[in-house]
Amino acid sequence: MAIPHPREIQLAVVQWLDERYPFTKSVDEALYQRVPNFANAFYYCFGGMVFILIVLQLLTGILLSLYYVPDAGVIGNSPAYDSVKYIQSTAYLGWLIRGIHFWGANILIIMVLIHMARVYWTGSYRAPRELNWMVGIVMLLIILVFSLSGYLLPWDTKAYFATEVTIKIAGSAPPAQLGAFIREILQGGAVVGPPTLQRFFTVHVFLLPALIVLLMYVHFRFIRAHGISEPM
Amino acid sequence: MADSTAQPRFTRRTFLGWWMASLMTATVVTGLAPILVFLWPAPPKGQKKTALTVSIGKPLDQLADGDAIKFDAPTSPNSAFIMADGGGDNAAGELAFSGFVVKTQGKVDVFAINCSHLGCSIALNTDAKSFDCPCHGSRYHLDGTVLHGPAAYPLSHLKWTQASDPTAIDVDGIILGF
Amino acid sequence: MDETTRKDGPGAATAATVIPIIEVDSHGGHVLEPEWKRLPIGPDHILYPVVVGLALFPILMGAAGHHLADDMPDEDTHPFFPDHFWPYPIIAVVMLVTVGLLAFFVQKDLQLEVPADPRAVTVPRPDWYFLFLFQFLKLGPELIMSLVIPPVVFVVFLLWPFIDAIGGPKVARRMGWKTWPVPGRNFITGAGYVIFLAIIALLTLWALAGPQFCLPWIINSPVCGA
Repeated sequence: MAIPHPREIQLAVVQWLDERYPFTKSVDEALYQRVPNFANAFYYCFGGMVFILIVLQLLTGILLSLYYVPDAGVIGNSPAYDSVKYIQSTAYLGWLIRGIHFWGANILIIMVLIHMARVYWTGSYRAPRELNWMVGIVMLLIILVFSLSGYLLPWDTKAYFATEVTIKIAGSAPPAQLGAFIREILQGGAVVGPPTLQRFFTVHVFLLPALIVLLMYVHFRFIRAHGISEPM
Repeated sequence: MADSTAQPRFTRRTFLGWWMASLMTATVVTGLAPILVFLWPAPPKGQKKTALTVSIGKPLDQLADGDAIKFDAPTSPNSAFIMADGGGDNAAGELAFSGFVVKTQGKVDVFAINCSHLGCSIALNTDAKSFDCPCHGSRYHLDGTVLHGPAAYPLSHLKWTQASDPTAIDVDGIILGF
Repeated sequence: MDETTRKDGPGAATAATVIPIIEVDSHGGHVLEPEWKRLPIGPDHILYPVVVGLALFPILMGAAGHHLADDMPDEDTHPFFPDHFWPYPIIAVVMLVTVGLLAFFVQKDLQLEVPADPRAVTVPRPDWYFLFLFQFLKLGPELIMSLVIPPVVFVVFLLWPFIDAIGGPKVARRMGWKTWPVPGRNFITGAGYVIFLAIIALLTLWALAGPQFCLPWIINSPVCGA
């Protein structure tokens, strides 16, 4: 029996799979979708860059969580602080992973704003894309909450007081009972302390990533449905 | 439907609608209520209100007019002071981690360190004899009243008594429990 | 092969005898699409598994609706893969290298301060992207500047497509314009946006100028940087 050419083996596998779940046609259609030439303008790529950066944040975030300890500890002995120090100075390439997460977050905010400015400038929010604009604005908010919650995690003085001021502002909502309620829920106690770090960690690592992945999915489905927007 | 608006009768259909709606509402409430309760933080074990003894370095009666001494809440066990009054961001019952003992015009006051604007720690400005907030530029006279906005309310007082040690005071506070 | 043999679904595919295709010369020879729609990489191409991986993304993102490109002549459009796709891997690598270099050369921004201690006296300063808000807070009554204006601005942004669609034509009529153009071609919405960005930039610069830099202001004068 002649040994089949690898190409034939691959074709047979593709064929076998296609019989069980037809996909080759969808692959063809999905990849061969025609795109207007005007979409080659450089300013149409910012959304894609944001996507790439978010993927980068998710990956480096998972890596950081392997070493990070969300425990504020007591004054003078903070496992959270020590674990960030450990990542930065002891873990192999820890400085790189944390650096990418840090700088990626900064660049992400810039790219989100540029992407949003482009969408506004070219009027891409207009019918039928209003809902996608709104999804985008909600994602902007999520990104900002991401950066706020992530800022606290190293548990150094800078992080502590920046968070305290933020919570104070949120907690100044009238009436006083509502403000106190918001503050207590955010802080997880009477002051910014270990429970606050635990809560911010949960929000930063579980809640927000799930939300943003879901919303990115919605965002892309809308784009698929609407196609690229007309030039202005 | 047109006829149902003409004759608002309580039909089997409306009954079922309401029945299903109440069932689903009940389900959601049963699910959400424990979550909300769970989110509300319980006080940590070992948290209790007590008088905290802090040293201010020199006997109270040797304070000169215009003297202001900063003191911190003990770190072990981790504690905080309880404000006795306050406006703006501060309020009676809120916590502070540091304070100032001040003598002005023969009267000794003990203030919480938090600016009444947004709660940043004020610092003593020895040249101008004022408390300055580094965050948003609020300033206070040494007697705690506002010298410059954005703060709109005076500094919060801490409730205190002279401790048995003449260089220490007992300040109302709380052991945080963490 | 006759194009009419092409059928959707598993039933069609199990008529296995209709797949003799290995035509190495042309586009891999698969017959799923007419020639003009064919991918350069077919099911027998060595890169086909990669292509399937790529295509999973748009497939997951749902059916494409009726797009502008569908009504345009072919010479005004190009296929997504590879013509439109190829810059993105390059962009991804460039960005990765950029953040990697930043991580290597600008480590001082990542250095930690001393561990959090509520007794420490420091000036809390937010990250650069919140500096404008931080500075904005100083310019008026706290509650209005923190919990009224920013949420209102946010809601305006959220509802902007509707504000633009409903309010825009009315303004256009009053100005005697025939249409209400997109912001890039619209003096009112375009300039408004530029002014909005300029205010944010100025507030940020004001904050960056530091606590020694003070300007007179209608309330709490003078207001200094952060």
